[in-house]
Amino acid sequence: MKKYITSLTLALVAIIILASCKKYLDVVPDNVATIDNAFTMRTQAEKYLFTCFSYLPRDGSLNDDPAFSGGDEMWQIEGRKAYFDMAKGLQNKVSPLGDRWPVLYRGIRDCNIFLENIGKVPDLSETERLRWISEVKFLKAYYHFYLLRMYGPIPLVRENLPIDADINQVKVLRNPADECFAYVVQLINEATPGLPLTIADPGRDMGRITQPIALSLKAQVLITAASPLFNGNTDQAGIKNPDGTALFNTVYSKTKWDSAAVACKKAISICHSVGIKLFKFVPDAATPNLSQALRIQMSIRNSVAQKWNSEIIWANTQSNASGLQSLISTWWDPALLDGTTAHGELSPPLKIAEMFYTQNGVPISEDKSWNYEERYGIKTSRPEDKYYLRADYTTANLHFNREPRFYADLGFDGGIFYGQGRYDDANPSNLFYLEAKFKQRNGFGKPDFSTVTGYYIKKLVHYQNVIGSGNSYTVNAYPWPMIRLADLYLMYAEALNESEGPVADVYTYLDLVRERAGLNSVQSSWTNFSTNPDKFRSKDGLRTIIQQERLIELAFESKRFWDLRRWKTAEDELNIPIRGWDLGQQQSAAYYRPTVIFNQTFGIKDYFWPINESYIVTNRNLVQNLGW
Amino acid sequence: MYKMFTAFICGSASYCPYKFKITRNLVTLLLIAAGTQTVSSKELIIYNPHTSSFLPDSSKAVVFSAAILKKEIRGTVRDAVDVMAGVSVIIKGTTKGVTTNLSGKYILDVPDENAVLVFSMVGYKSQEIAVKGKDVINVTLVESNNTMDDVVIVGFGTQKRTDLVGSVTTISTKDLKVPSSNLTTALAGRAAGIIAYQRSGEPGQDNADFFVRGVTTFGYKTSPLILIDGMELTTTDLARLQPDDISSFSIMKDATSTAVYGARGANGVILVTTKQGVVGKSKLSFRLENSASAPTTDVELADAITYMKLSNESILTRNPLGTVLYPEEKIENTILGKNPIVYPSNNWKEMLFKDYTMNQRANLSVSGGGGVAQYYVSGSYNKDNGILKVDQRNNFNNNIDLKSYTLRSNVTIDVTKSTQMIVRLNGNFDDYTGPIDGGAEMYRKVMRSNPVLFPAFYPKDDQHQFVRHIMYGNYGAGNYINPYADMTKGYKDYSRSLMLAQLELKQDLSGLVKGLSFRTMMNTNRSSFFDVSRFYNPYLYTLSGYDQLSNTYKVNNINETSATEYLGYQEGPKTVESTFYLESMLNYNRQFKKHGLSGLLVYMMRQNLVANAGDLQLSLPFRNLGVSGRATYSYDNRYFAEFTFGYNGSERFAESQRFGFFPSGGVAWTISNEAFFKDLKPIVSNLRLRATYGLIGNDAIGSPTDRFFYLSNVNMNDGSKAASFGNGIGTAPYTVNGVTVSRYSNPDITWETATKRNLALEIGLFNRLTVQAEYYDEVRKNILMTRSAIPVTMGLSAPVRANVGEATGRGTDISMDYQQSLSNKIWFSARGNFTYASSKFKVFEEPQYKETYRSRIGYSLNQTFGYIAERLFIDDQEAANSPKQNFGPYGGGDIKYLDVNRDGQITEADQVAIGNPSVPEITYGFGFSLGIKSFDFSAFFQGLANESFWIDPVATSPFAGETQLLKAYSESYWSEDRRDVHALWPRLSSTVNANNTQTSTWFMRDGSFLRLKQIEFGYTLPKKLQNRIRASNFRVYANATNLLNFSKFKLWDVEMGGNGLGYPVQRVFNLGLNLSFN
Repeated sequence: MKKYITSLTLALVAIIILASCKKYLDVVPDNVATIDNAFTMRTQAEKYLFTCFSYLPRDGSLNDDPAFSGGDEMWQIEGRKAYFDMAKGLQNKVSPLGDRWPVLYRGIRDCNIFLENIGKVPDLSETERLRWISEVKFLKAYYHFYLLRMYGPIPLVRENLPIDADINQVKVLRNPADECFAYVVQLINEATPGLPLTIADPGRDMGRITQPIALSLKAQVLITAASPLFNGNTDQAGIKNPDGTALFNTVYSKTKWDSAAVACKKAISICHSVGIKLFKFVPDAATPNLSQALRIQMSIRNSVAQKWNSEIIWANTQSNASGLQSLISTWWDPALLDGTTAHGELSPPLKIAEMFYTQNGVPISEDKSWNYEERYGIKTSRPEDKYYLRADYTTANLHFNREPRFYADLGFDGGIFYGQGRYDDANPSNLFYLEAKFKQRNGFGKPDFSTVTGYYIKKLVHYQNVIGSGNSYTVNAYPWPMIRLADLYLMYAEALNESEGPVADVYTYLDLVRERAGLNSVQSSWTNFSTNPDKFRSKDGLRTIIQQERLIELAFESKRFWDLRRWKTAEDELNIPIRGWDLGQQQSAAYYRPTVIFNQTFGIKDYFWPINESYIVTNRNLVQNLGW
Repeated sequence: MYKMFTAFICGSASYCPYKFKITRNLVTLLLIAAGTQTVSSKELIIYNPHTSSFLPDSSKAVVFSAAILKKEIRGTVRDAVDVMAGVSVIIKGTTKGVTTNLSGKYILDVPDENAVLVFSMVGYKSQEIAVKGKDVINVTLVESNNTMDDVVIVGFGTQKRTDLVGSVTTISTKDLKVPSSNLTTALAGRAAGIIAYQRSGEPGQDNADFFVRGVTTFGYKTSPLILIDGMELTTTDLARLQPDDISSFSIMKDATSTAVYGARGANGVILVTTKQGVVGKSKLSFRLENSASAPTTDVELADAITYMKLSNESILTRNPLGTVLYPEEKIENTILGKNPIVYPSNNWKEMLFKDYTMNQRANLSVSGGGGVAQYYVSGSYNKDNGILKVDQRNNFNNNIDLKSYTLRSNVTIDVTKSTQMIVRLNGNFDDYTGPIDGGAEMYRKVMRSNPVLFPAFYPKDDQHQFVRHIMYGNYGAGNYINPYADMTKGYKDYSRSLMLAQLELKQDLSGLVKGLSFRTMMNTNRSSFFDVSRFYNPYLYTLSGYDQLSNTYKVNNINETSATEYLGYQEGPKTVESTFYLESMLNYNRQFKKHGLSGLLVYMMRQNLVANAGDLQLSLPFRNLGVSGRATYSYDNRYFAEFTFGYNGSERFAESQRFGFFPSGGVAWTISNEAFFKDLKPIVSNLRLRATYGLIGNDAIGSPTDRFFYLSNVNMNDGSKAASFGNGIGTAPYTVNGVTVSRYSNPDITWETATKRNLALEIGLFNRLTVQAEYYDEVRKNILMTRSAIPVTMGLSAPVRANVGEATGRGTDISMDYQQSLSNKIWFSARGNFTYASSKFKVFEEPQYKETYRSRIGYSLNQTFGYIAERLFIDDQEAANSPKQNFGPYGGGDIKYLDVNRDGQITEADQVAIGNPSVPEITYGFGFSLGIKSFDFSAFFQGLANESFWIDPVATSPFAGETQLLKAYSESYWSEDRRDVHALWPRLSSTVNANNTQTSTWFMRDGSFLRLKQIEFGYTLPKKLQNRIRASNFRVYANATNLLNFSKFKLWDVEMGGNGLGYPVQRVFNLGLNLSFN
């Protein structure tokens, strides 16, 4: 018995040891996903294509777009994060706010991986392959451009370095600005022919890249390259690589404007050829007899907030304005004040309210018929204001006789808030309006919420949104407009004015935008109403007109932030204090006293982002930006 | 027998000038001249018992056979208190022996006068007494402690304490009996070489952190390998182990002792064995404890009035135009206590937490057996209650109620004379009911709850007379934390189980080769965890329309649509895991005269499978495979040598890197057994030197989710890389997920290795004091770390890693024991231990800093880097004229940091090593026990040193997100009137001020402390009385833990470190009863 057990156990040991040699540790079965799997089939490769798209910065998103709230277009209640800190001048190099450097370089690497491998996919038609390659080249161009706009000259990643690349090879240098722009343009040029003219399958592909998008982006890139920030900027002369290469070209070049103008014109014509046109509101069954005043406002609001409206060239389907609309909407319906979905927490400051023209289409400080000095005084609304102001409501002079875009873009104390299910304006006293004095429903004092200046953004709120009972809020979301035709027209006007001076086409495109906004032409408005009637005749005068037109037309669309920088006017505009009304007041007379909320400052270093200090520690070849 | 001898030599039994010293049965004798006590002659007398004749050529020599020298010895064994039953009395060098009976008596036949009797009993120091002419030997055993146990459990076997070469510490099971349901809380200060501390007192979450000889790696696994009866288990499984069931608890620290675990032993090994049955009548043991526990320290908060006043100040001091939250009128009326509903002043702590709570523990074990089978069966039940209050309006219990059950059955079956089978079955189950968020979170919520905005709940008024729910208070949109609502809105059940089954087969192969045996063991365990929450969404009400004159108010519901009166239900995460383990080993052990030889060869394989890994690569089985061996040689109990190795494979590495070979060796020299030491022996009873050197591996590198370094890992369906297009219903309905590379492949990644050295000195003095001092050092190489030199412009989505890091560790463990019996009735013992464990970065890939002080090399692995806070700014002007601080707005009263590199800015480049490491470098413990007659008393102190921790400035930032105001802050902060630049808290702010919350020396505190960890007072019923109730042991005791604490830090219990706002460490008063029947 004993011997039997002994030999049995010994046999058992032998079996166990033999049976389980090294195979035991081979736990990984075949076909575990590796990077090669991404390019074995069309469906997998499509995932990689979408991966490349996924890095698209979410413009118009409060948490993802520094240009949206990091400038001076809106102010927030204390304690909010995101880019509000940037607006308050807290940018720093230890942990730069809105640092896009890592994520976009990651995006560029993925684009390069895609471009390296897409040739391997067997079941992909050549036209589709070409389209995909072109799209990814476009994205690669866009990501470089985005970094370029933020950080100035950047290291270009034309091709991926291998993971085990030599340490000296990975310590890349920044490329000079002109080289960066040239490379971005080259990529767009390479991409354009392979892109479709229009989207054949809108249900699936709307938002994908087309030729009009590529050409419009090219226009934007070239106009950025031609703008003072990059064109002959001597401030940045000292920014040089360790090898002595200057990163900024300090010599002004008019040809940069020439090519920008050409690019704009080309983009406009391709847009026209595919039917892209300025949006004009056509009343529908619910609003057959809408007044002209509100029709113009609807044209203005819906050129942004109506998804895929006729003037959208490029809308970012990765960024949907839905949560954003909750954050900016306020309690316009007095019957429904309990909800917490509407926050009303993004408030345009007084200077933005003052930026809009008078009803005569000229700046408030220039209008002969408009009392600029008395703008903070108050008066009671008249019957003719009924589509703009609540009847018999006492409000600031500033709110009277302004251009339609003022009323379409801003909500304020006494202002009409068209929408929320009440579409019939036959009796304007039925329309919703805001009451924004202390303890009123849209006033300051609601815990966590409400305006901090006395203004709300109306433009970005779709007119058919409905606040329901409780916390319900039906939002008509829309993909964020990246480039719309009005933007392109204004770019063309700007470039052409710089390149050829005030020629006819400059006025034509400027006036197209003004007409849609319910304003007369530049010539007639300035001639008839301005205290400086000849302003539009000179190149310099027209430049200011174009710039203000642009800031008004594209207000709250993440454009002002970049425009002020590329024009190098940020040092003027962003040093103006942020003001609002005296929100703690319940009486109009006391309420309408401008109050400083914050003294914003902008220095020369703020034109570009700081490069995160730790990236420089890792790569000493990177030179830090001016002033950081 | 002696008389016989005298008669034989001298012809007379009554008078003989010589004395004899008798050794074993084939004995040579020395003739010693009486009176001189020195050896006068070495002539030998040899006697042939078979022929009963003297050998012709040596007429004066004598030899006796064992049969002739048979002799009967009798006596009584007792300890300081009473007689002892069950003590084994064995003739040294044989297996022959008896055990004492109920009255402590024994009778034993010894072969000759030279026999030495060994008296031993678990928990007592063994004694060896030479027979030397005695007929009666009475012994008093002294309770033993760790260093004195005869046999030590080592990897895959046992070794005699006196033969050890490696570094193994044992903790006596008695020391593990603390009034807690968590065994890990008993570890601190109990054994040299263990660094342990406890950060939380919440039942179920109170596992102590412990490390063997500190932390020497920056990989994810820093904790030791825990083996219970050979099964690799988790810290929680160790925590739930019942001290009553433990037979031995060993900690292996150096290379030689852990090498047999090759791959897994680099961080040390804790080896626990449970009790087995012994042949005899069944013995029943019973232990019952009831304890009261209460927090050692309460975090003190400022009162509501101060809160409001300082809240207003926090706004105005930053923005003179700001709107204060609490108008003067509210403050006034709150002081007057006008209407507590309208002007609430909540002491949330009092509302949520009780002063103390009661816990119960019971343990029952039965053991015994006959010739065929022996058994040890035990069951235990622990009930731990939390300190939370319960609202009687709910019929559920939202307080923590953790019930933990253990059932253990160890059965040994003697299949044949040489074959033994052991079956161990063990189940351990936790049933928990408690608050939805857990206890610690309730403490944190109280910290983040506004005391004056609303009452916990509103009384029912006429308007709401029909509501059935509790009308919880809230404010605004109802987004404020009402901790009372969160605590009483429901409860969570969780259930954790562990089932273990183990089969062990031992085969004595002496039949083949003498001294050879074979053992195989298979075990499997299944563990599972799930939780379920049941709760209603509380109805929140806010006050409106208060009329001062009539003192009436209205309350309105805020969340009608989302609140429920009925319970909702939510399933929490579930984990299910299974492990299979197999080991087979051949063991050889033999003594050839003075040469002791042993050999061991083990083959082992282990698999662990996780049910909800969350990722394909993680779902694949974790496997280890290995062969280990050990060879020991000893000569004459003086010289010892040991060689061990582990040859291990891990599935994590590429095939060429998969196996690692980890050899180690050591020597020991027992100087006190040398002949030349003889004269010193009465004073220095033991003097021993040990040294070991070897290599240990670690495959738990990187992070646990980072497996298969040789493969890239790609998420082919990553929602975070999705893109959407289309203009259909919804904004962009066509969405495709993207691809993310979460690891780049690197086939060269391999084992982390530790080269360990250990030097030890053991000294025993007067058989009473033992001192063991060890010095060790260690070099960890091939530590996996992220390549830091890769710039972000590379665009990599996952870090690139390589085995490039190196770290060193060194330290000392010292332990001391003293024991003495002053008489049969009084005994005393004292002991202490001290552990110092430090570590250093040796090779750490980091950017080339311009500032040399930024490099981590040379610093402890747990070193914190941060800013040096000089003081607070005196005023805004000073702030404006000082180097720019880059963290956010700041001014007078905010923390001023030192511009170390003098570049005019405070940036990361100004961070330097600050304070001590975050894991203590020094742990020590000391205590004594005293027994007088039936009473015993013991006290134990424990302490830590060389540790820094940081008060969490974000979590304690008053007013930011309704955070409460610590009383200490309210008493010392910078205010415009009182510009105290060294105040505890900087200038008040209503939001978290990023400038003040940087890691800096400002909030750094010294973590060292000394605490009276435990005192115990016991009474054992005298034998006579015990016999009357037929008990073999009856002891009642009272003990208390964490009675006193000596530390500079007063805000909370310093042992909690930076976690001070969590569930506090508890002070426990405990009453217990121990009862055994034979």
